Amino acid sequence: MTIGNFGNLLMLICLLASFTQLLYLLPKKIDIDYRVLSRAPFFASLLAFTLLIYIFVSSDFNYQLVVNNSHSEKPLIYKIAGAWGNHEGSLLLWILVLTIFNFIFSYSKIKHVDFKKNVMAFQSLMIFGFTLFLLFTSNPFLETEITVNEGLGLNPVLQDLLLAIHPPILYVGYVGYSLVLSFAVGGMISNKVDREWAEWLHPWVLIAWIFLTLGIGLGSFWAYYELGWGGYWFWDPVENASLMPWLAGTALFHCVIILKKKNILQSWTILLSILTFSLSLIGTFLVRSGILNSVHTFASDPARGLFILIFLAIILIISFTLYAFRGPALDNKNEMNLVSKESGILANNWLLLSTLFVVFLGTLYPLGTDLFLQKSISVGPKYYILSLLPITILLLLAMIVGPSAKWQNDKILNIILSINKLFILSLAIIFGFSIYFAELQLTQITLLTLCLTLIFISIKNGLRVNQDYTIIKSSLGQSLAHIGFGLLILSVVGNATFAQEKIFQAKVNDTLILDDHVFKFNSVEQTEGKNFNAITATFYLMDNKTILDTFEPEIRVYSNPPTVTSETSIIRKFLADIYVVMNIPENSDFVNVRIHIKPLISFIWLSVILMVVGGISAIVFRVKLTR
Amino acid sequence: MSKKVKKRLITILLSVLVLLIATLLITINLRDNIIYFYSPSELQETTINKRNIIRVGGLVKEGSYKYNDKTKIYSFVITDNSNEVNVSFVGIIPNLFAENKGVVVEGLAIDKVNFTALKVLAKHDENYMPPEVIEALKQEGQWQEE
Repeated sequence: MTIGNFGNLLMLICLLASFTQLLYLLPKKIDIDYRVLSRAPFFASLLAFTLLIYIFVSSDFNYQLVVNNSHSEKPLIYKIAGAWGNHEGSLLLWILVLTIFNFIFSYSKIKHVDFKKNVMAFQSLMIFGFTLFLLFTSNPFLETEITVNEGLGLNPVLQDLLLAIHPPILYVGYVGYSLVLSFAVGGMISNKVDREWAEWLHPWVLIAWIFLTLGIGLGSFWAYYELGWGGYWFWDPVENASLMPWLAGTALFHCVIILKKKNILQSWTILLSILTFSLSLIGTFLVRSGILNSVHTFASDPARGLFILIFLAIILIISFTLYAFRGPALDNKNEMNLVSKESGILANNWLLLSTLFVVFLGTLYPLGTDLFLQKSISVGPKYYILSLLPITILLLLAMIVGPSAKWQNDKILNIILSINKLFILSLAIIFGFSIYFAELQLTQITLLTLCLTLIFISIKNGLRVNQDYTIIKSSLGQSLAHIGFGLLILSVVGNATFAQEKIFQAKVNDTLILDDHVFKFNSVEQTEGKNFNAITATFYLMDNKTILDTFEPEIRVYSNPPTVTSETSIIRKFLADIYVVMNIPENSDFVNVRIHIKPLISFIWLSVILMVVGGISAIVFRVKLTR
Repeated sequence: MSKKVKKRLITILLSVLVLLIATLLITINLRDNIIYFYSPSELQETTINKRNIIRVGGLVKEGSYKYNDKTKIYSFVITDNSNEVNVSFVGIIPNLFAENKGVVVEGLAIDKVNFTALKVLAKHDENYMPPEVIEALKQEGQWQEE
């Protein structure tokens, strides 16, 4: 038996084993050990995925996928990463992660066996659907019809360590929300959507969120240094596709917290669970099937796109039919007071969903015009910035006020009293900055003041002020994540306000001046890398006669596949990055050099780390329900 | 009407109003920030608005790529083999920019045949052809499948 046949057999086992798990849904429950059954799809897909990596590592060109995406001279790590750097392989990875979640969930200590079986049955339905998809439209173990001796290679832009680990992390995030949807469906079937349900769901919804946050952060970090455009976020459809489930997922876990605490918003939480996973599905596969880059690639392989749409439709029909019957009855009749922590969280929900709406419209509108009007358009970043500006201001306000309010009922005056000092302090700092350092406009002052207030308030809420300044463990996660968010917006605004960029046409020994930085163009050399040739330039950042820093941007010429890339040279300073990228126009005796001063970039990455650490501590120190 | 129902009604009406205004603002904003794509032939049939940023794409015409040392202006001609647009650009020309290859430029049209590019977009792969360019060439019957 060839490896490919074995791989196919394994996926068939995965398909059948996950199908048998659907038996849990039968009205008369069959007494089978659900743990045993969840193991088969997990081990089958794990082994299949290992086989896939093996054929990539051994450069086995009997397989179409290896031919299309690998090359025998590629470094080992990128051979491995090549296994999931394509549609078929990433689909197998997606199935593997689905089964991992099912496998781990089967060991959870939930006593409600009926609910647990329903969750696993729905999770198995998804495993079944995707395995079917894999076997019929995107088989990674397809053998080549003719003999091939060499592969086509992997796009060099993708030959990057960070990008090798970025998709698996993002996938754990996306797929994590599949279990959340299974929770919603299982909860509805077993009529178990209450505080206890929220407590069970709490860690899972956070795990998915943590991985998604980290995945988006890594993607942004990669785009920043690899693409050489000097930006970290481009409102590109591919980026937006990952941002949408993040926004819905953020709204979702805040709701889970209210549900756990106050036993309200049951049906709303269920709706958000359905929405979040639907957006994960739309996100991953619209990117993978190429529909977002161009509607025409979609047309070239309609089977894939069609399958995703059908699958999405099935999931939505099942969830919403259940919701129609069970949803309204789930809600507790507890009223909510306008001035309370829970209404603050609800306000945050609406603002996050508004953001989602803006991003959704901007991402899918061009698709619609292309499909129905045959007109190519793109949406400029200005649309996002202008639309999201008022929402962001309101969101920051809600994040300042909400956590300061008490659960159940509070007085507006109390809240104002608890935040006014820190607000005035922040305003004073920003005003002082504007007067003494650099003049700011009203919107910038508003945004920066709110960010700073949010950071101060979050620090205050995490520390037991007036007592012994110890950390309140239960609110540590919230504090860290909110500090992270404040820092993120602060850095984004600061970066947009103070970034500098200049393009030079330079010859060796030229002096380049940007603001108060003086660069000397020292040399240009030809160098050789593992699988590319490079032209490396050397620039010195000078202070009079002394060399402060050395920059070595490169142009790389890869042969498999033939591609030219510009490698940036970045020196990270505490307050700003200096970013140098160059290229050489055809038939010219000079190089084009673009130098950026990018303030606060490091703080953007730090803010992502804070959010991730916040998420982790929210899991570790989560409050147990009192029974 | 009881007090509770009244309160709820006001809340719902207010939310709908806010939602409507927000949607309206966002849609207007979207309309103002859409960047349309034209092939050189399509540009001939369009009324040019000199203030709107647009994209034009096609092939870089052979022998048209020039650089003026004094003005530091690059110039080249984008063609779909039926019509042509003259493009001028100050800035960095991407590595993969080459004659007879596909290109998309973003900027302002001066008239139907002259264009000031603010950005030159060329993608990562040498064989890569922007989908818009393929479509533009197909429409003019100039596209050859490889």
